[in-house]
Amino acid sequence: MASLLIKNARIASEDTEELASADVLVEKGVITRIGKDIDSGSSGDVVDAADKILSPAMFDTHVHMREPGQEAKETIKTGTEAAINGGVTGVVLMPNTSPAIDSAAMVRTIQDIAQKDARIPVYTSGCITKGREGKELAGIEGMLDAGVKMLTDDGDAVPDMLLLKRAMEYAGEFDCFFASHCEILELSGPRALNEGRVSYRLGIQGTPACSEEICMDRDIRLAHATGARLHIQHVSSKMGMETIRWWKEMGAKLTAEVSPHHLLFNEEDIGNYDTNYKMNPPLRTAEDNAALLQGLKDGVFDIIATDHAPHTPFEKAQDFVNAPNGITGLETAVVSLYHHFISKGEFDWNLLVKRYSAEPRRMMGLDPVPVAEGCRAEFFLFDPNGETAFTTDFMRSKSRNTPFLNQTLNGSIDLVVRGDDILLQR
Amino acid sequence: MTRKDLLDIESLRQEEIEHLLDQAAPFKELFTRSVKKVPALKGKSVLTLFYEPSTRTLSSFEVAAKRLSADVTTFDVPHSSVVKGESVRDTIATLQAMRTDYIIVRNQMAGIPLAIARETRASVINAGDGAHAHPTQALLDGFTFREVFPDSAGKKLLIVGDILHSRVARSTSILMRKLGVEVAWLGPGSLVPKFGPSDIKRFTNYDEAMRWSPDAIYLLRIQMERQSAPFFPSLREYTKLYGLTQDRFKRIADEGTYIMHPGPVNRGVELCDEVMDYERCLIDQQVENGIAARMAVLYWLKPNTGEGEAAGDKDTN
Repeated sequence: MASLLIKNARIASEDTEELASADVLVEKGVITRIGKDIDSGSSGDVVDAADKILSPAMFDTHVHMREPGQEAKETIKTGTEAAINGGVTGVVLMPNTSPAIDSAAMVRTIQDIAQKDARIPVYTSGCITKGREGKELAGIEGMLDAGVKMLTDDGDAVPDMLLLKRAMEYAGEFDCFFASHCEILELSGPRALNEGRVSYRLGIQGTPACSEEICMDRDIRLAHATGARLHIQHVSSKMGMETIRWWKEMGAKLTAEVSPHHLLFNEEDIGNYDTNYKMNPPLRTAEDNAALLQGLKDGVFDIIATDHAPHTPFEKAQDFVNAPNGITGLETAVVSLYHHFISKGEFDWNLLVKRYSAEPRRMMGLDPVPVAEGCRAEFFLFDPNGETAFTTDFMRSKSRNTPFLNQTLNGSIDLVVRGDDILLQR
Repeated sequence: MTRKDLLDIESLRQEEIEHLLDQAAPFKELFTRSVKKVPALKGKSVLTLFYEPSTRTLSSFEVAAKRLSADVTTFDVPHSSVVKGESVRDTIATLQAMRTDYIIVRNQMAGIPLAIARETRASVINAGDGAHAHPTQALLDGFTFREVFPDSAGKKLLIVGDILHSRVARSTSILMRKLGVEVAWLGPGSLVPKFGPSDIKRFTNYDEAMRWSPDAIYLLRIQMERQSAPFFPSLREYTKLYGLTQDRFKRIADEGTYIMHPGPVNRGVELCDEVMDYERCLIDQQVENGIAARMAVLYWLKPNTGEGEAAGDKDTN
């Protein structure tokens, strides 16, 4: 691509609610000019945005791509294509593959696969404990040397508090941070759904919110005591959000994420055992939805992350207890957040850009990708008047386990650009 | 007014429940005759699929189906503690090929009967799934309650014991509420959920529950064998706090309160021996009514197995 001129775009940024109208010229993968009535001459491509929104591309710090070990669900290739389909141009993989990503060798394996199969940067987290078994420390220095920034046993908490404390003491001063999936297993039961009205109605033992909240508090206290940097993953409850708010006010070195599904859905959506609403931590109540949204607006949550968790139709068609936890999210996040929140005035584009593009990159030690002169082109064009039908044909993920399957929502991602590459054009 | 499946009580309308209870009465009358059989389901096949051991419910269904002249087959499935959903789905394919008309299923996992019902043309009757539902037990309980209290609305039923794990408590509570019966639960705080339906009273103290003046007390079987963290310290302590001991039974007998129990009973735990000989103990009546209620259910449901033609003698209003 010699050059790309996008005419009549409205530019979204993390700093302002205003969507500034302008033309944007990209040359050799870099944004060289932003202004009115730019003429690129006759050589390059021209796209008339016709008042569509030009947004920095998103970055998802919490995705499961299942490779190696569970390639029937997803691969790095299909998962990254799903990311592009949803306007996401960078991802951080969780280490609960099979085998787990717990050594420099495994990190390099992932990097090799990504090098070959992915059109966007793929970062991986590394395990805190060997095999994610919670017993011995993983090869932390080797993984960090290979480029890992985030240490997590995601899918599980580290149950042994002393081991977690040692890990934080050992690695806390390296250039890395810890990310916690918070759950006290003894309280969780079969890990199927929230403890409450719906768990009673369906006759399945529920997981109380305090299972997550106690572990969250525990991990924050350990990080606080050791000086380690900590990130709390997929907060699902009001009191969890308030726990983070309080600790931040106390000055803890702490970041936290919220996922679109915990903002959008609650336990009532499970209906009659619909496993597309089954994930861990589980959907809680309408009151929690409202509190999490407020926490996002207030900045209690630094980032949005999807916890993209593909599973095969056969696995998800099991009974509710045995069906695996998790839903996909990479392809639906931007459109569903636009449809349910931005288009209804709950928040503006700047919040989405800040929480799903800029802050996630900063957390990983990367530069944000604003639509600004001199920056690398890394953006998508979003049509607020378009719509997206989340059909099997639309989706690039190998899996279909999303509540949005066969729903049509307002808004569509029409063009995704990263540097010199037009990754997607509809 | 007809359905393919009976999976829970929640989804039944009040008039459907009334209809089923009304239908059970003439079936019960049959039992006093020398020939107890009617040809209502002649030529139809009923298959029982019990993943949990059961003698009472299984026999009750078999007797009910045979009294309707259906052919009954017991499909032998492993009674292991965990039968995964995937193996159940493989079984469904087999059952579908057998073209059976009714499948009666019991499983440890909540929601399995629904999953089977979605994938088969046969009528599926839930004979108990996990802690979720036991709709035919609720119907026989409702039928029994109405035999004693023909005008049941406003009467009071107290259910005592392990409410949390009991599919009987769930289904029977919902059915009784739909009949206008007032329902309360009594048991230890660890076994009486706080997040149940808001129109059910909740007691953890025996004397307080008695001051509510129930017309009937429904005792649930109490077991200690659940999970690593116990829900109460000992059976002795449970009996002391909630059991129908001799002293408590005397006062109940004086008041004329009826006693129900889904069986099998733990003598000396949730009730004392004397209760079994009490004239207002409805336990045997519940067993007999179970057959009539299940006949009414089998007669009422309409499988999709007939390749389009109406199911002859199954006139369902």
